[in-house]
Amino acid sequence: MNETVLSIRKLTAGYGGAPVLFDVDLEVRAGEIVALVGSNGAGKTTLLRAVSRVLRAEGGIAFNGEDILPLPPEKVFSRGLVQVPEGRQLFGAMTVEENLRMGAFRRTDKRTLKESFEHVYGLFPILEERRRGLAGNLSGGEQQMCAMGRALMAEPKLLLIDEMSLGLAPVIVDQLLDVLTDIRSRGVTVLLVEQDVFAAFSVADRGYVMETGRITREGPVSELGDDPAVREAYLGA
Amino acid sequence: MLLVQILVNGVLLGGLYGLMGLGMALVWGVLNVVNLAHGALIMLGGYLTYYLFTGLGIDPFVALPIAALGMFVIGYCLQRFILNLIVRSAMLNTLLITFGLSVVITYLAQLLFSADFRTINPTYSGANFAVAGITIPVVSLAAFVIAFVLAGAVWWLLNEMTIGRAIRATAQNLTAARLYGVDPRNIYALTFGIGAALAGVAGGLFGILTHLTPYVGATLTAKSFVIAIIGGLSNPFKVILGGIVIGVAEQLASLYLGPTYIDVISFGLLVVVLVVRPARSLRAA
Ligand SMILES: Nc1ncnc2c1ncn2[C@@H]1O[C@H](COP(=O)(O)OP(=O)(O)OP(=O)(O)O)[C@@H](O)[C@H]1O
Ligand SMILES: [Mg+2]
Repeated sequence: MNETVLSIRKLTAGYGGAPVLFDVDLEVRAGEIVALVGSNGAGKTTLLRAVSRVLRAEGGIAFNGEDILPLPPEKVFSRGLVQVPEGRQLFGAMTVEENLRMGAFRRTDKRTLKESFEHVYGLFPILEERRRGLAGNLSGGEQQMCAMGRALMAEPKLLLIDEMSLGLAPVIVDQLLDVLTDIRSRGVTVLLVEQDVFAAFSVADRGYVMETGRITREGPVSELGDDPAVREAYLGA
Repeated sequence: MLLVQILVNGVLLGGLYGLMGLGMALVWGVLNVVNLAHGALIMLGGYLTYYLFTGLGIDPFVALPIAALGMFVIGYCLQRFILNLIVRSAMLNTLLITFGLSVVITYLAQLLFSADFRTINPTYSGANFAVAGITIPVVSLAAFVIAFVLAGAVWWLLNEMTIGRAIRATAQNLTAARLYGVDPRNIYALTFGIGAALAGVAGGLFGILTHLTPYVGATLTAKSFVIAIIGGLSNPFKVILGGIVIGVAEQLASLYLGPTYIDVISFGLLVVVLVVRPARSLRAA
């Protein structure tokens, strides 16, 4: 079995005294794509924000064996733990290229920057076409590609992706899922939060189900997909 | 001929006004803080330049970058250790704190520098030359050129440098900036420091072109505010243009209405601008 990249133990977090997450345990191992699913308001985004250390939390979060709970977000980011946030959160008044450059903000080896640009433009040719245009003027699908590209420019070891498929046409979702498979083959580990459980389970190895701030089910997606409760709640079967 | 001379005076003075507005606009655009102490920082920069000149005998134009550096350090520390505590709170809090800061700085200046008028007066301060009958004072022209050069430098910093991109990123999307390795506390301190450095240069030039008292801050804050609104918060050169608009308007008012109307002009224009382009003028960088 591969080594553990992300290990979350008894994590509790919330907003201004109102708890949202309760004793969450979750593990992601090297090279895996792990899906985290759950209904609206379950706390998935809250968990990702806690892991990226932009939200106060208690419990344990280890990244490649290091306790990252005391670290500020920029240190966590520098370690290679990179998030593609819900709602894309692009720098709307910057060009596509500048957004990608922001992904490389903490990189010290600027020599290899060109290769990263080529890699991202290879995955998403539309971004190269639009590179001088403002990110705020991109279509929804293009914005998601730009957000993914920005994250890849950071040379992530672990990608946290929040609601990648939201509001996108199926063909775009498929393209993005292919990219996930591709970057996984390049050694990037992925934790994927999705409303679209069917899409998430089509690429993921394992899955977690979150309900009102607690992990209620976990296992290989093949088993989870067969679980009657999961099927009823999330796969509409 | 008199009119042309007046216009030229207005444009040259306006460059300096624009430089005053530039620091204000930068801090406003990035931190969303209307810095009511901006004028007091300009005043402080003026005195710094004054003492470098009179105390150490450093030529005032050589003293400007030293004053700028000193003001950067002061600005950086003010933001890092005081203003960062309230930067994301309600506008009312930041207004109150920066107003309080301006009162404190003015009071300290009065204690340290006395309330007397001071002028930075190098030997060449009266030098001028004529072009087609128009008199151009050398120091005014120098101030104008410096304003443009610094506007260009700010533009370059924001658009071509990694740290400048991080400043804009923080202004545009704080959430994403934090997720992508930017430490906003550092960016805010840096931005405020740059704003203070620009104020420092503006203050030195102001002391060369006119005269300093510890009380000029309030008027200069008001002027910078108006210029930032006219010029917008996103393009440094537009801020300089905003300064030129105010400079020309002031000179025209002084010619046709009398010198007492000079300070009324800024606020008259502020009202006009707020009525004509309310939302657009307040958009961030
Ligand atoms: N900034 C905030 N302040 C206060 N409460 C919040 C904040 N953000 C989220 N919450 C609350 O925390 C709970 C979990 O929200 P969260 O965004 O983590 O859910 P989610 O699983 O990501 O939902 P969705 O699938 O809709 O994105 C919700 O009840 C929400 O109202
Ligand atoms: Mg969410």
